[in-house]
Amino acid sequence: MSEKVRERPSVDRRKEGPAPLAPARNIRTPLGWWRNPWRRPYILATATWVYLAWSLLPVLIAIGISFNDGRSNAVWQGFSTQWWWGHPQSDPTGALFVSPELHAALIQSLRLSFLTMFVAVPIGVAFAIGISRWRGPAPAGANFLMLFSFVIPEIIIGISMFLFFTYLLKFVHLGTGAQLLSLVTYQVSYPVIIVRARMLSIGREYEEAATDLGASPTQAVRRVLLPLLYPAILVSYVLVFADTIDDFITVRYLSGGASTEPLSVKIYNFSRGTLTPAINAAATFLLLSTLVIALLGVFLYRRITRGQRAETQTQEMSGYLT
Amino acid sequence: MSRHPKERPASQAGMSRRELLKRSAAASLALPGAAMILEACSKPGTVSSGGTHANGPGVGSYWPAGSPYPLARQNSPVTWKLWREPIKSGLAPEKGATLQIYNWADYMWLKVVRQFCAAYNCKYQLTTFNNMDEGLAKMRTGQLQFDIFFPTPDVLGKLITGKLLQPLNHSYVPHLVSDAWETYQNPFYDQGWHYTVPYTVYTTGIGYRRDLIPDAQVRGMSNPYEILWDTKFKGKIGIYNDYREAISMALLKNGITDLNTGNQKYINQAQQTLESLINAVNVRTSINGVYIGIPKGTYDIHQSWSGDIVAAWQYTPVQNMKTWQTLGYWFPSNRKGAIFNDTITIPANAQNPVLAHHFLDWMMTYKNAMLNYTWNGYQPPQRKADPETLTTTKSYYGEPYVFPWLSDAVVRESDFHTGFFEEELTPQVDQRWHNAWQAFNSA
Amino acid sequence: MRGLLRKRSRDERDEARGAWYPRWYWPAFALPGTLWMLALFVLPFYVVVSIAFGTVDPVFQSPLPVYQPWWWTSRYLLEEWHLVTGEFRAVEVRTIVYVVLATAICLVIAYTVAYYVARFGGKRKGLFLALLIAPFFISYLMRMLSWVELLQPNGYVNSVLTFLHITPHPINWLEGLPFTVVMGLVYGYIPYMILPLYGFLDRIDQRQLEAGRDLGANPFWTFVRVTLPLSKPAILASLVIVTLPMFGDYYTNNLLSGSPKTTMFGNLLDDSMEATGQGPEAAILVLFLVVFLMIPMLYYMRETAKAQRNQ
Repeated sequence: MSEKVRERPSVDRRKEGPAPLAPARNIRTPLGWWRNPWRRPYILATATWVYLAWSLLPVLIAIGISFNDGRSNAVWQGFSTQWWWGHPQSDPTGALFVSPELHAALIQSLRLSFLTMFVAVPIGVAFAIGISRWRGPAPAGANFLMLFSFVIPEIIIGISMFLFFTYLLKFVHLGTGAQLLSLVTYQVSYPVIIVRARMLSIGREYEEAATDLGASPTQAVRRVLLPLLYPAILVSYVLVFADTIDDFITVRYLSGGASTEPLSVKIYNFSRGTLTPAINAAATFLLLSTLVIALLGVFLYRRITRGQRAETQTQEMSGYLT
Repeated sequence: MSRHPKERPASQAGMSRRELLKRSAAASLALPGAAMILEACSKPGTVSSGGTHANGPGVGSYWPAGSPYPLARQNSPVTWKLWREPIKSGLAPEKGATLQIYNWADYMWLKVVRQFCAAYNCKYQLTTFNNMDEGLAKMRTGQLQFDIFFPTPDVLGKLITGKLLQPLNHSYVPHLVSDAWETYQNPFYDQGWHYTVPYTVYTTGIGYRRDLIPDAQVRGMSNPYEILWDTKFKGKIGIYNDYREAISMALLKNGITDLNTGNQKYINQAQQTLESLINAVNVRTSINGVYIGIPKGTYDIHQSWSGDIVAAWQYTPVQNMKTWQTLGYWFPSNRKGAIFNDTITIPANAQNPVLAHHFLDWMMTYKNAMLNYTWNGYQPPQRKADPETLTTTKSYYGEPYVFPWLSDAVVRESDFHTGFFEEELTPQVDQRWHNAWQAFNSA
Repeated sequence: MRGLLRKRSRDERDEARGAWYPRWYWPAFALPGTLWMLALFVLPFYVVVSIAFGTVDPVFQSPLPVYQPWWWTSRYLLEEWHLVTGEFRAVEVRTIVYVVLATAICLVIAYTVAYYVARFGGKRKGLFLALLIAPFFISYLMRMLSWVELLQPNGYVNSVLTFLHITPHPINWLEGLPFTVVMGLVYGYIPYMILPLYGFLDRIDQRQLEAGRDLGANPFWTFVRVTLPLSKPAILASLVIVTLPMFGDYYTNNLLSGSPKTTMFGNLLDDSMEATGQGPEAAILVLFLVVFLMIPMLYYMRETAKAQRNQ
């Protein structure tokens, strides 16, 4: 390899005058407009708004139908709140807040969702923290199990849980307990994936700094690591709640009678038989309750991360989902 | 320099083949490990060759080898033995109880249940199942104590052999003798009605849009089942998503009347018949295609249970006579078609057996049975409800129980002697039917 | 063991680089989760295996698990293997085609939307994010049922299409069209794909993109040469989340098309599970599906392990 640097022709650039401009592009012509690197992305914008419309419009229609004056699920027959708290002529006790069956189902839905949330997320977060920091061969197997439970079709988990509880662990009776156990099993991998992704981007510097300053390991985790994970943990809570309240496959197999069937199962039963707008009302109510939880989560998040608002809000929250 | 055999490019440093195997082994190692903690016991699934047929749960002339109980057929009826004593007569109904009912979804008008509860001062709770297997599985766990259960006759053998039902005390249910069809005091599947009372009776025919296909056209055909192959209605034709119903219909179309046949040739023929439907008319399968699909316009022709078409008027988007006149039903005029009934039973571990007996009597009473019929559409086997009056008497809603143009949907007591029952099959025959159905579904 | 539990002296700790944790510390965190999965996921899964190689109850024809491996019978395995390589081939091919198509469409749409919102969202990013997350909170059943209503022959979709003269007469969308089933799959799973992609694209270093542009590449080439290769791990993660569950999906087909012409593998599974006496067959099909899904799973784990090592 030659040591000599390639010689440059000695040109005194100052003598040349200003550098020639790039050929001017007229952005008013179609081709120029197309090639302008700083134009607004109209195509992408349109695509996004079309997607959002396609995604949400049927749901808005379904919410609207829950206020239908009449029995039909497809044809708008006027506005009425009869299916929410009224007495429709075709089914006098069918309205959402009147029917005792739907009432019991609503309570069960909320009960299962809250319980699952508060069991699955702590276990999942602990697991994620442990797996991310643990070095060794064993974590790979545990990690594989966790991931596997995430992608396995839910019906397999439902059936195997049912058989497991009715053949082996017979002391676990069908009902809320069994439903809770299987829901947590199905949901626990969710917070693991979310928190794990976040932990990949948090280095060890913070904990190292803490222990250098004299903190014990537990203190370092509790006061340094966990606060950094609060947004990810909050997102996990919200997503686990949302996923559980919709779940109908697993809880159906493990229900111990009508009193332990949540609203999602009732919707499923109705969807195979008679459809009245009361079902739409039930689903809308589920949506509203998850919205309330989500808003609560956002509110809590804003309070907790008051000091961390260096990055933009959304960038934080979204980053934790990879 | 040539590459060394052990040299691996950087991109493959991640997972060598050994590591890959190690990882999948790590997961699979968990499995035999769990097996070791389970204690060994005798090989499950072996039928203890305990005793002769004399010790069995019932008596019947058709008892295939290997079956734990006799199989009921119209020409070889079964009498079930009482595996325990029924409850004593003359007991008072339980007070302040909650009647636990386990039924199909949407199969009973809760108004009737509420009236019963008002009369007997009790509460009720209705749990539903979506298919009989699910119902059986939950019943077998023994954890759920239902007072009333609605099985179909073809699972009675399993239920009684498994001691899941209790024998009935007839003194509590006098209305079966006074109000119901006489044949049900001695049905072939439960001679002497030891365990069951009938709930509803129905036939399987074809429902269609009368405004698109005139009645005369359907009845004029030499084999009206072929209306399902009418290519004019391509894409709007349906059959039930039930392997017994679908294959039975194909058998009947081919002229085979034994709906419990194990003859592989007939079954293959039926399978081909069904497969021809796919190519000819894009047939689809559904369960609620008749009472939801036909009124909505999703289907124009659909295999139909009589009760579905009778109740369909409640689901039409426009509620007027003109729309209701578009609903039609056909069943063979010589009444030689598929016929079936459901039963009501009392599970063995019922908490409120006396109340349950009274409920059975309630459902056997003419007034209550007809009230249920109004909403349900499925006919109760009541003596006073003869086909001529059903199409003219006004029900609770102000319309006849059955519209006159749906008169084929009315079931008569004589149909039991002309019609064909789908009954329980031996496991081997059942497997053949399943294979045919699976082949049809994986077209 | 004493070595594990012995606390190091302060001097030793000062010497040690970085934060010091006892060796059992991190495994302790992972312990509850691992125990839970072992008890409540692996064991029930073993029940499924026991059923697959087990038998049926002689009275009820219900599946009877046989826990001792030495009594396992391979009868159902052979039966189902025969079917899976024979009769079910059409269904399997069809499932793979549907899933690949649906995933491809999902990817294109999801990437477009995620890209737009991440790079050009600006002040409205919060709003966009809320709208994108909304489908998570709406019952899957509700979303599908709404579409069934819209796709009826006299539903709004046909009304709009005939009004705009895009189609001359109403199309029967629900009569067993593969198009409906694939779009149903896309609709059901696309929210799960958008968020991971968005999260990743949101954090791409703007400077790398600007560098590409400064070097003369137009937006298109910047995208192809810089953004796309960088987003490979995110694409892989979202593919895993979406594609693998799709293989077991049966509900979409049930709801949007009752026709045997569009049966997916999940339907075969579900039909076996609902039928009497078919318990072992259903369990075998479950095992086939699981084995099939393990291959992409292991590939994904290998890729993430690589990525983690490279960090």
